[in-house]
Amino acid sequence: MLSRTTSTTLVLVVALLALGGLLLYSAAYTVDEAEQVIVLQFGKPHGEPVVEPGLHFKMPFIQNVRRFDRRLQSWDGDPNQIPTRGEQFISVDMTARWRIVDPLMFYQRVRDKDGAIRLLNDILDSVARDHISATDLTEIVRSSDWDVTEADLERIPVAAEEEEQQLLQRVQMGRGELVRSILATAQREVPDFGVELVDIRIKRVDYVRQVQEQVFARMIAERQRMAEQFRSEGQGRAAEIDGETQRQLATIRSEARRQAEVIRGRADAEATATYSRAFGADPEFYAFFRTLESYRDAIGDDMTWIVSADADYFRYLRGIREPEPSPPAADTATPAARR
Amino acid sequence: MDRNPIDFRSFERQFAQMDFRHVVPLAILAVLLVVALIAAWTSVHTVAPEGQSVVKRFGRVVAIRGPGLHFKLPFGIDRAYFVPTERQLTQEFGFRTVSTDSRTQYEKQPTHRAESLMLTGDLKVIDVEWVVQYRVDDANRYLHSVEDPQKAIRDVSEAVMRRIVGNELGSDVLTEKRVEVATQARDELAEILDSFDMGVVVRRIELQDVTPPEPVKPAFNEVNQAEQERERLINEAETRRSQVLPRAEGEALQVIAEAQAYATERTNRARGEAERFSAILAEYQNAPEVTRRRLYLEMAEHVVPRIRRVYVVEPGQPGPLPLLNLTDETLPPRQRTGDR
Repeated sequence: MLSRTTSTTLVLVVALLALGGLLLYSAAYTVDEAEQVIVLQFGKPHGEPVVEPGLHFKMPFIQNVRRFDRRLQSWDGDPNQIPTRGEQFISVDMTARWRIVDPLMFYQRVRDKDGAIRLLNDILDSVARDHISATDLTEIVRSSDWDVTEADLERIPVAAEEEEQQLLQRVQMGRGELVRSILATAQREVPDFGVELVDIRIKRVDYVRQVQEQVFARMIAERQRMAEQFRSEGQGRAAEIDGETQRQLATIRSEARRQAEVIRGRADAEATATYSRAFGADPEFYAFFRTLESYRDAIGDDMTWIVSADADYFRYLRGIREPEPSPPAADTATPAARR
Repeated sequence: MDRNPIDFRSFERQFAQMDFRHVVPLAILAVLLVVALIAAWTSVHTVAPEGQSVVKRFGRVVAIRGPGLHFKLPFGIDRAYFVPTERQLTQEFGFRTVSTDSRTQYEKQPTHRAESLMLTGDLKVIDVEWVVQYRVDDANRYLHSVEDPQKAIRDVSEAVMRRIVGNELGSDVLTEKRVEVATQARDELAEILDSFDMGVVVRRIELQDVTPPEPVKPAFNEVNQAEQERERLINEAETRRSQVLPRAEGEALQVIAEAQAYATERTNRARGEAERFSAILAEYQNAPEVTRRRLYLEMAEHVVPRIRRVYVVEPGQPGPLPLLNLTDETLPPRQRTGDR
């Protein structure tokens, strides 16, 4: 059995220990590597913010701590419909990085992250809107090293003259410069609330739905024209080849005919030369000989021949006499042709 | 309510009768044992092979440990945070891998399309899907530099990809500049993430499907078809050509060969006739008169038998024409009187 005194002592010790623990628990606080802390005494900031990570102590109960993230935070804007300088409506989606650099001021001015983001929304949206509505779409989309040459235009389908001009145009500012200028203005505009704006970027630029449909229609038209061009190019080339074929065909044929004529001509000439050489030896005999030949061929069957009795062939029908010295001319009568 | 109220009195009595002298040390022992167990449990941690563990004591980083079994202070004094530093991490843009079971499956929802649709430098719209592969190379900084590193990587990747695609012609991004766009995007992303000091190394950016937007795709296909049609038309013309020309060449050779045949025949015949004539001439010159007569008679001999009627007319007599019955002729006579 425990004596009354010992048990009282035990209870006392336990109570003291518990109290001590409670005090210690209330007095100690940790600061994470990713955090910064301000100490409030009855709600009033007390001392410098604590950024050193590890175990720290404060006055128990009367002081408490507010923790703030020390890391880089993100801000994601709502997509905004903004007209560009060329009065095209685009939807712009911005994103930014920021961090809390003065937790005390941050706590005083905006209290927490929600408040900060609300404030950033107002400022960044309006800064972006101001810049973008004062800039041409090409300057928003392209960068300063944009370089399209005439040679590039050859490769791609371009709808119209003005579009070519627009493609060749140099970029004055470009995306990079625009973003830098937005960042600079925004940094200036962000009031002192313990926040540093580190980075801001245009995450997305899109056409609004209506414009997008127009752009799609333009792209479709462009491609269809390109297809048409390919087709007619094919037809043209085919016709060209066909024509060339015809030309070659004509060349081959006429060349062959020409050669054939030359060959025939040479042969005729040669034959003529041969004949005249042979026949030239005695033209009179040739005439006689050749005429006889032709009689053989020309006088056919079933002909009626009316002939003078003077004809040589019939001479001896009249009797045998010494031949008068008459020329041995072929006194044949022309046959009355009757087939 | 006729349940018995709890009999506190008897409970109290029982409690007073209990002997706590034995119970107290036992209870203390049990408590100590539990505490020891918890201490043991919380003072050990293992690190998986694909990463490192950042150990924080009261929120302050005290050690970074590699794979294996490690000890730390118990009861949450030391806490270990695992970071997969060795793993290849990937962010997908414009699509999501839904399963990699037997066949990898992807999905593309409207929100994913919003990630991948972007403007090109020629103010067209293009659908670019890509992945960013990165690795954590500093676990400490990865945990403590940026609040949501993955969101930062996603936001900046989208901004960078759009800037670069916006600075190129759409048809180039579709074809020849794919690689260039990817490397340029990688470099720029790496530079920006470095400036955030977030302990991440961008390994590579890979462009996946780069396509025209859905409504425009049929028109692009039409262009491909037309291009093929062009090739087909040209090929067909070439085929026709290669069919026609060799035949024509053959025919040409034929024409020439025929001419040569004619030439051979013509010259040979000429030569033959010439020789025959020369031979006869030689004969004739030996005996002109006789030969002449002989030739004449031979001809007559050959010709006369084939003639149906021969009218021999005395010179000075009237011709036989009035006597001839020409009416039985079927054909009109083509007549020439052969008087000398």
